[in-house]
Amino acid sequence: MRIVRFLIILAFPALMALSGGNVKDFGPQIPKQVLDWKAAGDDAVFSRKTLFDYMDGGAEVYLAYNFQEVFVRKYADAADNEINLDIYDMGSSAEAYGMFSIDRQDPEAGIGQGSEYGLGLLRFWRGRYFVSITVSGDEAKAEKALLELGKKVAPLLGPDGAPPEMLKLLPAAGRKDDSLSYFHDAVHLNNRFFVASENILNLDAKTECAFAEYAEGESAFGVLLVVRYPDEAKAAEAAASFRKSFLPEADADGAALTGNKNWAMIKARNALLTVVFDASSKEYAGRLAAAVIR
Amino acid sequence: MAMNITRRDFIRGSAAAVLGATALGQIPLSAQEKKTRVILIRHPDALDATSAFNEPVIQQMLDEAVAKLLDAGDPVEAFKLLVKPEDIVGIKTNVWSFLPTPAPVEKAIKRRVLDAGVKEENIGLDDHTVRTNPLFQKATALINARPVRTHYLAGMSGCLKNYIMFAESQPDYHPDSCASLGSLFLLPQVKGKTRLNILCALTPQFHGRGPHNFSRRYVWNYKGLIVGLDPVAVDSVGLRLIQAKRRKELGPAQEIPPVPKHIPLADTKYGIGTADPAKIELIKLGWLDDVMI
Repeated sequence: MRIVRFLIILAFPALMALSGGNVKDFGPQIPKQVLDWKAAGDDAVFSRKTLFDYMDGGAEVYLAYNFQEVFVRKYADAADNEINLDIYDMGSSAEAYGMFSIDRQDPEAGIGQGSEYGLGLLRFWRGRYFVSITVSGDEAKAEKALLELGKKVAPLLGPDGAPPEMLKLLPAAGRKDDSLSYFHDAVHLNNRFFVASENILNLDAKTECAFAEYAEGESAFGVLLVVRYPDEAKAAEAAASFRKSFLPEADADGAALTGNKNWAMIKARNALLTVVFDASSKEYAGRLAAAVIR
Repeated sequence: MAMNITRRDFIRGSAAAVLGATALGQIPLSAQEKKTRVILIRHPDALDATSAFNEPVIQQMLDEAVAKLLDAGDPVEAFKLLVKPEDIVGIKTNVWSFLPTPAPVEKAIKRRVLDAGVKEENIGLDDHTVRTNPLFQKATALINARPVRTHYLAGMSGCLKNYIMFAESQPDYHPDSCASLGSLFLLPQVKGKTRLNILCALTPQFHGRGPHNFSRRYVWNYKGLIVGLDPVAVDSVGLRLIQAKRRKELGPAQEIPPVPKHIPLADTKYGIGTADPAKIELIKLGWLDDVMI
């Protein structure tokens, strides 16, 4: 017994390194100066309870994932342009990936396991951490500093983590990988792709959603959403709710022509629900759905 | 109250559905039914080449807008219709660091409230501490002024959402996409006191990204003010502007931010104003280039 306890004590630092650890521990490791910008004010850490004190209107987006806490440091240059470094502990690599994935619009920046940079905003993820670095003020001047800071921070966040298993359900053919997203809640879905003002798919913290846009040539396209519910009964309830609100005229295949002359389709199997929106044809909607529900 | 609007409603082009109308322009108003007036005023010089606010022009815009709103001969006469010398006036501003209520707008309001005869010591300006600010606690009149922008949860932040600082608990108003924001206007500290709503569309934000839902690339110099007595109607017009800009810049698929259901519900559930565009008399003054609505 003593030997086991001894081994656990020995292994603890390594286990902490693998699982992440407390975000405030990043403070001493992150440079206090990046190019012309110097750390300004005290570092801060916000938890699930205090995140509202840090952000106005955006906290729910993080809380709907398994957000744990965020480390915040500000940097300022002589002209008072301010850089904000946020390192979010999302609890797991799947959640960190998810947080990164729902708001992608810019070109890859080559930092961490996935990244993007556009006009004063650098976003990337690695392991269980999602990182956002922004500037208030002169975005062009700050670009080099943002990227430099990101490159300094990324190695501290290791090791790499796996993206959500669920993404493997989405067929690769025709998939626009920069549209690939993973999330849980209706607030994420509606910001990514507006479906309905009410939560007609019964999404919540326990549902997992994978989303991507598809195009094969110019004539075959669609949008694919796959939802995994905690059990088959909940998936069936959601399917009924969706049919009633969105596709009341669905045919025996679960498909209907929508107002833009494109097709929507819903399929359920076990605890999985697959919905295709804005598909170029019923046949293509069926192909996408069949690739998931196989 | 369930108010389900789906993607299909928008695909069908019934954008008015979001605002509670069954179909834009299909509801004939009876001759007796008076529309709710909202003024949109724009000026090409409201911001200069460096995007700095032009204070005299903004004063002029506010003056013209309020005079037209109330069919008054001049702005001071108009403000005298809004506030009395014995009023205690709280100007509810917005200090969000990325896009605050512009100082020239605050000054322009205060100047005219003073001109209307209200004593300087009876005029307050506040945002986060309005609940506990002694002047706001005894205020007899409120003026509501803030910029228009998209919001990740509520869809849009406008005059309705600006009163969330009067709430004892702000998170209580977050569920269901902030559906209950209209009820803020029924709080005892607020009810019946709002005399004027000014939605600043000088530099609106039509999309949000990043941790604070702000990126300067989604802000544009529209150089406008949307002014009305009814906060719901003012926000309804603001939403049309945001939708039009999103359609233009982001495409039809992203025309709609998360549906700002709090706007129609402020009308249909809380009865504090008019959301239906068919029941709003939108008067456009000044510069009309790229007006979009």
